[in-house]
Amino acid sequence: MKTENIDRLRAKIVRIDAMPAIPVILRPLLRCMDQPVEDVDMERIVELVSYDKSIAAQCVRMANSALFMRSSPAESVRSAVMSLGMWRIRDLLFSNSLSQVIPANRWVVDPVVFWKHSLGVALVCRKFADMIEFPDPEKAYLAGLLHDIGVLVNCMVVPEEFRAAMEKASREHIPLDEAEQATLGFTHCDSGRVLADAWKMPADVADAIQLHHQIGDPERGGPLVALVHLSDLLCRMRDLGYGYYEPRQIDFANEPGWLYLVMKFPGMAEIDLARFTFSLDEYAREVGELVATVFAS
Amino acid sequence: MANESTLVKDGAVAAETLADPAWIRIRDLIYQVSGIYQAENKFYLLVGRATKRMQVVGARTPREYLDFLTARPNRDAEMRNLLNEITIGETCLFRSLPQIDALRKVVIPSLAEAKKKLAFTKLRFWSAGCSTGEEPYTLAMIMLEETQAALKGWTFEVVATDLNDRSVAKAQEGVYNDYAVRNVPPEFMKKYFTKAGSEFRVADSVRSHITFSRLNMLDDSKMLFMRGLDVIFCCNVLIYFDGKSKTRTIQHFYNALLPNGYFFLGHSESLHGISEKFRLVHFPGATAYWKTTEPVAKAGTT
Repeated sequence: MKTENIDRLRAKIVRIDAMPAIPVILRPLLRCMDQPVEDVDMERIVELVSYDKSIAAQCVRMANSALFMRSSPAESVRSAVMSLGMWRIRDLLFSNSLSQVIPANRWVVDPVVFWKHSLGVALVCRKFADMIEFPDPEKAYLAGLLHDIGVLVNCMVVPEEFRAAMEKASREHIPLDEAEQATLGFTHCDSGRVLADAWKMPADVADAIQLHHQIGDPERGGPLVALVHLSDLLCRMRDLGYGYYEPRQIDFANEPGWLYLVMKFPGMAEIDLARFTFSLDEYAREVGELVATVFAS
Repeated sequence: MANESTLVKDGAVAAETLADPAWIRIRDLIYQVSGIYQAENKFYLLVGRATKRMQVVGARTPREYLDFLTARPNRDAEMRNLLNEITIGETCLFRSLPQIDALRKVVIPSLAEAKKKLAFTKLRFWSAGCSTGEEPYTLAMIMLEETQAALKGWTFEVVATDLNDRSVAKAQEGVYNDYAVRNVPPEFMKKYFTKAGSEFRVADSVRSHITFSRLNMLDDSKMLFMRGLDVIFCCNVLIYFDGKSKTRTIQHFYNALLPNGYFFLGHSESLHGISEKFRLVHFPGATAYWKTTEPVAKAGTT
């Protein structure tokens, strides 16, 4: 999208009252995420979780779900937090607080499909980052989780037009951003960028949100954009996509993002892509469990 | 003898059994030897089937069974037995829907488009290791549908081969029980099968597109004659080959394919570094190997 169009979109989004506000819990959470794992204060996480009754209840429910196979049920928020571990708590907090941004009746996409895709991309990003020794796998996770945040903006700001774009995409079996461009004149990448700036997200995460479909010159966005782009494609090829069939062939070895990472990370040469692809089916269970916890009424 | 009640409860594998790290090592060993990957969400299948072998050989724990697969004198034979157990019952018509979708929605249209430019209107398929015929019949039915729709005026041929004479004979019969046809869409059942007692017989209109024959894939002189193919399916066969035979067979497949041709393996089977010539490509829910003349682009040029 051209700069003047982005500016126009920005003006439109800011003018509209429906502009999603940053959830209260998210700012301290983002701050928590900005430090190395060993410095994260679990007590602070317990405190954050306890702020919100519904999130606290979800943590307890999830800690007691089949996925964790506890011998005795977790009753307190603290024992639930300890049992889930910091990363799953963060997933719950993120998906829950971001879901609260949109009232239930404003979802144009199926929220379950949306979160499965977002969490799937997040997990794949982190796994991918680990494999190639990308220095900040948690940043990769965060960028994966938030990459489609513009979808939420579109649901709020241009619900009817966005619904038409979704329908066009699934009817014509084309990528969502193509349908958005035709219907709205901008994509969830553009509106996601505006939101990321408004919420003062880290610049490279904002770039990943904006460029994950159109990576163009990979040098511009750097490795994080390439990671999110490839993880998004992998998820869409492995049943963690937008919920409709995309009849296409992806030749990863020829993807600009792949070639770029090959140049930057020696670990790329070691990746057994077939095995990596098959192992993605393992995430489906984890992601399904998490999303079920968030959306169990 | 493994105590079955501790391993399998009410037909499901107990959670604590799945958590044994020896299973991960067994899974990785299977992948290394055969290219078949058992995702963790399907572990209960691996465990269920390996447990059967453990009972036969008398291994009490997965750790002990790992020894049978790696350290005992007849370890290669035991690995074959385990692979047999793992791939058993995998043969049915319309076995992998994601593969069929990839074929109909991506592969066939793109092959047809490329061939049309060269004024060719025929597609050739090879079901290598066709077992009792489920795969070639599935391919032929799909192509019959395509040639009545998007590919009007096109012709096609399915070559079906197997090492086992009895399998080839059974394949030629084309009679299946209701378990083998459980995945067949109702409209295909109606169009392409007739009831024969409690079984189902494939229509002659399908059969006439397939040539069945016995072929040993390790016989170089025979493999050299296989040429001019657009798509090859070879599911759960190469897993039984040793490294060298595998490499040689893959080379034959590569030569047998026309440029832009596709090579499909079993649903979670991979070439695992056997061939650098093929390019792994992804479709929704399926992967295949592509014989492309297109070079990998240099970084920064696309």
